[in-house]
Amino acid sequence: MRTDGNVRIDVERSLLQSADEAAAAIRALLSERKIYAINLISSPGSGKTTLIEALLARFDGKGGVAVVEGDIETEIDAERIRKHGVQVRQINTRSSCHIQPSRLLSVLREMDLSETRLLLVENVGNLVCPAEVSLGEDARVVLLSVTEGDEKPLKYPLVFRTSDLLVITKTDLLPYVTFDVDRVRRAARAANPAVEIFEVSATAGSGMSTLLDRIEALRATKN
Amino acid sequence: MHELGVANEILDVALSEAERHAAKKVTSIRLRVGVLRSIEPENLFFLFDHIARGTPAEGAVLEIVEEPVRVECEACGVSEASSFTWECPRCKGSGVKVTGGDSLSILSLDVDS
Ligand SMILES: [Zn+2]
Repeated sequence: MRTDGNVRIDVERSLLQSADEAAAAIRALLSERKIYAINLISSPGSGKTTLIEALLARFDGKGGVAVVEGDIETEIDAERIRKHGVQVRQINTRSSCHIQPSRLLSVLREMDLSETRLLLVENVGNLVCPAEVSLGEDARVVLLSVTEGDEKPLKYPLVFRTSDLLVITKTDLLPYVTFDVDRVRRAARAANPAVEIFEVSATAGSGMSTLLDRIEALRATKN
Repeated sequence: MHELGVANEILDVALSEAERHAAKKVTSIRLRVGVLRSIEPENLFFLFDHIARGTPAEGAVLEIVEEPVRVECEACGVSEASSFTWECPRCKGSGVKVTGGDSLSILSLDVDS
């Protein structure tokens, strides 16, 4: 109590509390069904959908894959994934620049996940907002293409700090761009010493099988 | 524009706390924000002002207590930095680990009852 009628209320509450509660509900749902969930984050055009397509090819016949596509307005990526014959749901986030865990939770509750072993969530394309909220995922994968420049870990440290895997993509273009792979590795490790770093080129095919092997091994931990 | 989501969350918490304490008006809100959150204060203030209009939190002042980046250096111990770094701000060594600076919380609010 300071002056008449003026009261200070101590709150000390994380602004992420309600989001964290929804994420915990997702985590419980996934663990009950033994579904391994991957949250894919990157700037637009870094190769998230390409990685999803590679994972669909890898996991075809090894347990069902379900995909949730987050996008501000369009259904373009969902259409691309639907052609692979897997269960895919689109979340249009409109005014929100990331997938809200409460929204993902209600979508998952509507889906038939009885055959699903792997859930891939393609978050909205940016490195800031999706980094802030957990979706209850088992692994968070951040993609960084070499065409984006090696300053990204300095500009957007939170996403590198909270990701389990860092995938440096489009490495076939390294001879043509200014991108110091070691600089990115050092920054990512300072942000998160446990981060696993992969270098891939989907077009040249290099590094992809190492990455897919690792994801498959991670997936198997949830049997 | 991730400040909009943060502003919405601040307003939600402030209004529910004000209601719980039967307060008529929220006059100020104190926040702890880690540097790693990349929050642009001006942007946050502007958006909060806008969404708080017509609510008991209209005109409430946001005060930000900035939390620096906490860096643990193998060579010289713990220090703080004003932005994310992979070099120790003190000895410039590279064996550093960032261990803090991502707070995003509401500390307290002042209300008129
Ligand atoms: Zn040092």
